[in-house]
Amino acid sequence: MRPSSPKSLPVSRHAVRNGLFAGIAGLSLAGTVAGCAPSSADSTAGSAAPSAGTSALAGSGGGYKDGTYTADGNYVSPNGTETVGVQLTLAAGKVADVEITQHPSNPNTRKFQGEFAGGIAAQVVGKNIDELNVSKVAGSSLTSGGFNQAVEKIKSEAQ
Amino acid sequence: MTDWEDFSFQGIGTEWAVSTPLPLPMSLRTRLLDRVEKFDGDWSRFRPDSLVAELARKRGRYGFPDEAAPLGELYRLLYRLTGGAMTPLIGGSLERLGYDAAYTLRPDGPPLPAPEWESVLTWSGTVLTAGAPVVLDIGAAGKGLLVDLLAAELDAAGVSEFVIDASGDLLARGTEPLSVALEHPYNPALAIGVVDLDGRALCASAANRRTWGDGLHHVLDGTTGQPVRTAVATWTMAETAMVADALATALFFVPGAALQETFDFSWLTVFSDGSAAYSAEFEGMLFS
Repeated sequence: MRPSSPKSLPVSRHAVRNGLFAGIAGLSLAGTVAGCAPSSADSTAGSAAPSAGTSALAGSGGGYKDGTYTADGNYVSPNGTETVGVQLTLAAGKVADVEITQHPSNPNTRKFQGEFAGGIAAQVVGKNIDELNVSKVAGSSLTSGGFNQAVEKIKSEAQ
Repeated sequence: MTDWEDFSFQGIGTEWAVSTPLPLPMSLRTRLLDRVEKFDGDWSRFRPDSLVAELARKRGRYGFPDEAAPLGELYRLLYRLTGGAMTPLIGGSLERLGYDAAYTLRPDGPPLPAPEWESVLTWSGTVLTAGAPVVLDIGAAGKGLLVDLLAAELDAAGVSEFVIDASGDLLARGTEPLSVALEHPYNPALAIGVVDLDGRALCASAANRRTWGDGLHHVLDGTTGQPVRTAVATWTMAETAMVADALATALFFVPGAALQETFDFSWLTVFSDGSAAYSAEFEGMLFS
């Protein structure tokens, strides 16, 4: 099968209601990715990653420092040590770009990933949900309490 | 569905919204809430008064409600297909890592593998017989199952058009195709693609949700008791939300193509390097 091709979508600021975000939105860069600071490779800080662009954040009136934020996380998988890298670019207080920057270092993982019979996309990129004309968002479950915590962390650490 | 009416409520630890063209009558709202409460009272391992809590305290033979039969069959099948990695007996492992009723969120010793199914539990239809106290956790399929149960309540009440949104796990019935964004696994403000949902369930699972420590998250491998890594997010579409929900978790253990030999479903798996694998229905739906 061939890799997926980019799909053009109608751009609309309408789309998703605020309440939806409060319900489904999750912690950014949590989990295997630890620590985050502007232009810093230090992954031991243990702070939340900056994020922006949700309706909740946009309405907070706070300014976020522009810059490129990176976070690396190492972990031991059944195939050996893996590294995940995530890079966030903030411009004018909004997320301008998110990239998952590093690849599994272990050849077994790559092999495993290459064995899928379905299609494979080399790299998936994100688009602002606000700008997509959608009725719903499907993501993983998270209580709004966790979401609010994340927002508070981001507010205190990215300002 | 922009003009539709939302009935929103809290249930089994998450936010729910039932959207319908017309407001639901109060009696039906009450019935839905009662159904949620009944489900929680039977299956929650966070409530001391639940059936599951009783099973965790005392060995014996327990009669569960009707939904236990399809749920048990599904888990049995997935237990086999994942080589024991996906198991309803993972509750003890989760508790060991701190995901317990008190939400201590602190590991209480090294990872604890789940007990072998055959050695402790007989799940026959709606009857569960445990040779020892066991901590049952149906989290991998429970939310989807409750979505299906609420859909059945709506059907029975003659409501033919609805969307049930259980914090991102969705079931659409009788609607125009619903345009749904797939949330970026690392940034909820972004989507990695958009799919059309038409009369079925769409469920998601991610390894980066409900995290509470260094690499500890809620998707655990039952054979080792350790969190699963490498796949970071999955999506599935299937006839029922129970099946879609369970398969979204199964994709962390088994390639989608292998699961497709047993289940009629569509799938998408995103990995820690940002690459994705998917079945035909997700073809061309991702941004790249």
